[in-house]
Amino acid sequence: MKFLNNMTLGQYVPVDSSIHSLDPRCKIIATIVCLTGVFLVSGPYGFLSWGLFFALMVMLSRLSGGLILSTSRPVWILIAFTSIIHLFFTQGTPVFSWGILKITHEGLEMAARMGLRLLMLVLFAGFLTLTTSPTELADGLESLFSPLKRFGFPAHELAMMMTIALRFIPTLLNETERIMKAQIARGADLDRGGPLRRLRAFMPVLVPLFVIVFQRADDLATAMEARNYTGGEGRTRMYPLRWSIADTATLMLTVLFAVAVTLLEKRLMA
Amino acid sequence: MRFSARTMTLTALFAVLTAVGAFIRIPFPLVPMTLQTLFVFLSGALLGSRGGALSQVLYVGMGLIGLPVFTGGGGPQYILHPTFGYLLGFIAGAWVIGFISERFEKPPFLVYLAACFSGTLVIYAVGTAGLYLNLNFIAGKEATLRQVIDFGVIPFIAGDILKILGTAVLASRVGARLKRI
Repeated sequence: MKFLNNMTLGQYVPVDSSIHSLDPRCKIIATIVCLTGVFLVSGPYGFLSWGLFFALMVMLSRLSGGLILSTSRPVWILIAFTSIIHLFFTQGTPVFSWGILKITHEGLEMAARMGLRLLMLVLFAGFLTLTTSPTELADGLESLFSPLKRFGFPAHELAMMMTIALRFIPTLLNETERIMKAQIARGADLDRGGPLRRLRAFMPVLVPLFVIVFQRADDLATAMEARNYTGGEGRTRMYPLRWSIADTATLMLTVLFAVAVTLLEKRLMA
Repeated sequence: MRFSARTMTLTALFAVLTAVGAFIRIPFPLVPMTLQTLFVFLSGALLGSRGGALSQVLYVGMGLIGLPVFTGGGGPQYILHPTFGYLLGFIAGAWVIGFISERFEKPPFLVYLAACFSGTLVIYAVGTAGLYLNLNFIAGKEATLRQVIDFGVIPFIAGDILKILGTAVLASRVGARLKRI
């Protein structure tokens, strides 16, 4: 189980940069603004502007370009596939044809537009998780959703459960690995035989895993109650979120940029 | 909504179990099987509708904020992944399984079996809808419902039946001893 190494950090790459040190709430809202902005543009100037904006962000974050691109790897196939489908199956004036394949002017345009849009969406969304740790994101989301508490939305509880889950991923993965090794040492055959046999071979792994989960959950609940945990009301934080002038400035600049790009593009296309 | 500390810890740990399950691969004819859905079923069966659905919300949430807990990685970009509908289906499926098994004081084996079957149907329905929408509107490839089902449901049926049986066996034994949360 080699995924253990960087599991708790996920995609997050800790670097000391001006982007990393922004408030997570600022980054979440700014990302939503950018995603909306990318949706609103459709021409070359629009995509170019957002591309340059993204390049600037990457430079400020001091992350390598290759790393950024690799976060979009899971959806590369989707993007390529989408572009190719649009390239060949859009009706219009043909610019090139070979056998039954023909590429139309409209097809080229559609392929570029859809491909670029998907790529930009993926890059911006991935950038958020590259520069913000999961714990920061959970805290930021809790704070952003806390106005909904009035309507019964359990913002604090969800964030608390998320934090517990994040904390316990490495623990449970370790435990699973330990149980598997223990059972193999006792002669369990986990990777031989047909599917049915293998599934049954996993039973001696699952049962102790369950016992551990229930024990851990009970212990943790007892520990929380012993320390007078009563939910989010009046609870203070070890590291409170701080909204600084830099956050306000970043957010305002992002919004201004999005509005400017959208309006200018409308003007240019008209 | 009020939560006891025990509800919160158990729900969180079931989200982690689902993540662990996504990594346990058992080679199977057609597609490799993961134990992910086994824990989806169990979270509904053992934690009830609210707890089960919440643990799956947490699981999907963990993946979306960048942890590689899904079978194909993680991160917010996963929303565009063709299989994202199945992840949403897990939430609905766990809720349905919980809802049915909650109707009984001490659900017997057959109730868990029926609950898990209904839950699986819900997961398939939501997942297929997601796959269909993704292929037709995001990827722009025209796929008929029939083709989508051939891809997204048929290969998983055999493995899921085994997991349903496993869940019903486990839940009917553990559930009776576990105080409802």
